[in-house]
Amino acid sequence: MLRLRQRGVLPGFRLTLGCALLYLSLIVLIPLAAAFVKASELSPWQFWHDLTTPRALAAFRLSFGAAFLAALANLFFGLLVAWVLARYQFWGKRVMDALVDLPFALPTLVAGITLATLFAQNGWIGRWLAPLGIKVVYTQLGVFVALLFIGLPFVVRTVQPVLEDLDLELEEAAASLGANRRQTFRRVILPSVRPALLTGFALAFARGVGEYGSVIFISSNLPGKTEIVPLLIVTKLEQFDYAGATAIAVVMLLASFALLLLINLFQWRSSRYHARI
Amino acid sequence: MSVEVRNITKKFGAYPALYDVSLKVGTGELVALLGPSGSGKTTLLRVIAGLEFPDTAEGRVLFHGEDVTDMPAHKRRAGFAFQHYALFRHLDVFENVAFGLRVRSRRTRPREAEIREHVERLLKLVQLESFAKRFPSQLSGGQRQRVSLARALAIEPQVLLLDEPFGALDAKVRKELRQWLRKLHEEIHVTTLFVTHDQEEALEVADRVAILREGRIEQIGTPDEIYDHPATPFVYDFLGNVNLFAGRAREGAVIIGEIKIPAPGMTGGPETPAAAFVRPHDIHVTRERSGTATLAARVRHSHAAGALAHLELERLDNGEPFTVQLSKEQFRQLRPRLGERVYVELRNVRVFPEGS
Amino acid sequence: MKSAATPNVVSGVRHRSPTAESPFVRWLLIGGALLFLGLFLVVPLLAVFAQAFAKGPGFYFKTLADPQSLSAIKLTLLTAGIAVPMNCVFGLAAAWAITKFTFPGRNILTTLMDLPFSVSPVIAGLVYVLVFGAQGWFGPWLNAHDLRIIYAVPGLVLATTFVTFPFVARELIPLMQAQGRADEEAARALGAGGWQTFWRVTLPAIKWGLLYGVILCNARAMGEFGAVSVVSNNTQGQNTVTLQIETLYKDFNLTGAFALATVLTFLALITIALKAWIERKETTLKL
Repeated sequence: MLRLRQRGVLPGFRLTLGCALLYLSLIVLIPLAAAFVKASELSPWQFWHDLTTPRALAAFRLSFGAAFLAALANLFFGLLVAWVLARYQFWGKRVMDALVDLPFALPTLVAGITLATLFAQNGWIGRWLAPLGIKVVYTQLGVFVALLFIGLPFVVRTVQPVLEDLDLELEEAAASLGANRRQTFRRVILPSVRPALLTGFALAFARGVGEYGSVIFISSNLPGKTEIVPLLIVTKLEQFDYAGATAIAVVMLLASFALLLLINLFQWRSSRYHARI
Repeated sequence: MSVEVRNITKKFGAYPALYDVSLKVGTGELVALLGPSGSGKTTLLRVIAGLEFPDTAEGRVLFHGEDVTDMPAHKRRAGFAFQHYALFRHLDVFENVAFGLRVRSRRTRPREAEIREHVERLLKLVQLESFAKRFPSQLSGGQRQRVSLARALAIEPQVLLLDEPFGALDAKVRKELRQWLRKLHEEIHVTTLFVTHDQEEALEVADRVAILREGRIEQIGTPDEIYDHPATPFVYDFLGNVNLFAGRAREGAVIIGEIKIPAPGMTGGPETPAAAFVRPHDIHVTRERSGTATLAARVRHSHAAGALAHLELERLDNGEPFTVQLSKEQFRQLRPRLGERVYVELRNVRVFPEGS
Repeated sequence: MKSAATPNVVSGVRHRSPTAESPFVRWLLIGGALLFLGLFLVVPLLAVFAQAFAKGPGFYFKTLADPQSLSAIKLTLLTAGIAVPMNCVFGLAAAWAITKFTFPGRNILTTLMDLPFSVSPVIAGLVYVLVFGAQGWFGPWLNAHDLRIIYAVPGLVLATTFVTFPFVARELIPLMQAQGRADEEAARALGAGGWQTFWRVTLPAIKWGLLYGVILCNARAMGEFGAVSVVSNNTQGQNTVTLQIETLYKDFNLTGAFALATVLTFLALITIALKAWIERKETTLKL
């Protein structure tokens, strides 16, 4: 008689769980805890002071604002690209489909110096924008452009599979009930991809808030104007202001945790929502 | 509102789904499109709804004499119920049914109160009044099917098109919904076409049945006509419940074993192979040979559970098996024993040349 | 029985499937998407190579053969060579525990595995400085024993490991979850040992997902910049490829920076090509 206990038949539970927990603790959890311990050593007054300097406030405003706007723009562009890739056949589609992952696979630093060069006054793209009075490099617009680049795959890759799985019969049903194409899009297709869009937005936003490599070359990094939060942390570290860096980092970490929670919530909701009928 | 299709031809790649199909459905009629999978019945329904278009200019779709071939689906007012319901998952039952009213142009859109009243009346009709706030994922298969019907009815359709309406349901629910659909049709009397591959369903529910095979209409008629006078061996075979006797046709008669049965259709010519179709209840079984028109057979199996009794017999001359259906009364009188020799007389024989 | 979304023309009237847009809208959407992708993905890609070869192939290859470039490549290979296998082994262990067993806190563990993904790389570097730096928890002890982690190779490895931590596990967990554990249980019932079950049943089923996870993990490990730049501040002569590119860029050696950047760009291109290839393979296998 085989002993088939619920947990007994497959081996390695203790070993693998133990290894995973130990590794997770050593590499991720304990170092992250260090930031909170360090922050707790600060007096509340000093903590508050570090966070509310005009320079820090401006950096927070820029990082969160640019990430939000870029994610918002990616909601539009990402949906457009996902739709075109999911629905249409055209020359070069396979290459484009693969290229969408480029911002994800390309080192952020390479993206940063490339965008900075392209959008420079004499760059391939910048020279067309300069006569229009649009200046990208060394401005807040540059931060937005970099984050737009970085965030694109997140929206496309969460929305595209949902669009591909969308049952064409739903659209046919809408048409047979008298809905024109625009109404079908607004009332049937969009609600079906809304959870995925929200997830993609949150992913792109979370990534944008913490982004460093792609931004610092296209931005002039001017304190109070074009300086992002991650750069502020680096600057404080270079000045050996560990306390100040940690205070800001802890706020950023809490924001990341909140976003992670939100993303999990979206994904849980969308998976429930899309339970097969 | 009558519906007519003329000369519809439709190919998917090299595979012809419909070949020169014409069909006319009268106002208030309930017509079943019956056929095996791949016979083109769903495609025909989709062409009528405007979800597919005929390949050639000869192919036309007419609603009440008006040509709607070039009209897009959303303007046809053809209520379509999908096999897998295609309910909008993000909308509750009420909003699913209200969908067709809410997407009307501002000028023709009913007031909110009218929409509410209309939807509630329809939910009552499909016996789902208390489910208005539920979402599709919270309903059973039969309930989803009824929501899909109510949704199609909400637009006050010119024609109701049902694609395998009971296909995805279990046997018991199917039977219930079948009778319910018949009753519903008597109540609202909207011209209805429904697709099915279940001959029992088609014969029980429909006013007329069109039998499709490989993209063509093989026969169309009332259930009685279809069942009693199948036009082709395919129809005979597809309706099921039939015995096939192989024989030879010669000079207006068919010879099966030792017997000769007049077959007016088979005129003159040399001897050709032929198939004779006989329904199980058209075979008379006796212990003694009576007259000349009988075949000798051996009893292989008998079962008498249910209202009718069934015998499985085997021809003595070539071992071909066939089935006989008799009443309990006849069965008691006959008392067949396994392996026993009996004689059968064939009535209402339909003969078709081999390979037709 | 679905037709393609192409319109068919009968007697001069265009019949459009109700699930398709008009050709005008379709081409507008495709055009818009291609313009956006072209401007944001293709042009930057071309720009990297155009800049790298701005001073001709001679200068390009000279930059790559430069001792500093070579030592940077060596250091990057070393860092990735440690970080990737570690994340691979532990990602597999975590995925095995999470998908083949049920235990309280399983969902929390899955979420925590994803944590580094949403943490800014700069903060990843910072926390290691707080632990191992001169003023950190172990700083005095390390100093007393003449060991260096921050501003040295171990720090680079640790920061890289942190940033690429979730990649293997997050590829494997959904895959192994979908596969369930029936195959493994069958293998066990047929008498296979624990390792045999893993090698002969589990691994063949997840090999493509694992391969993609490893490739992506590797691309990110070799391309990491933010985290390593924090823990390597002012490291003389110990640059990874990304740090070396930054150095060249800041020295106004634009062509040199881009020449070295092509190495990482090739890596990224190979990564996305492999991803596309694996996805194609998986869909053909499924059919």
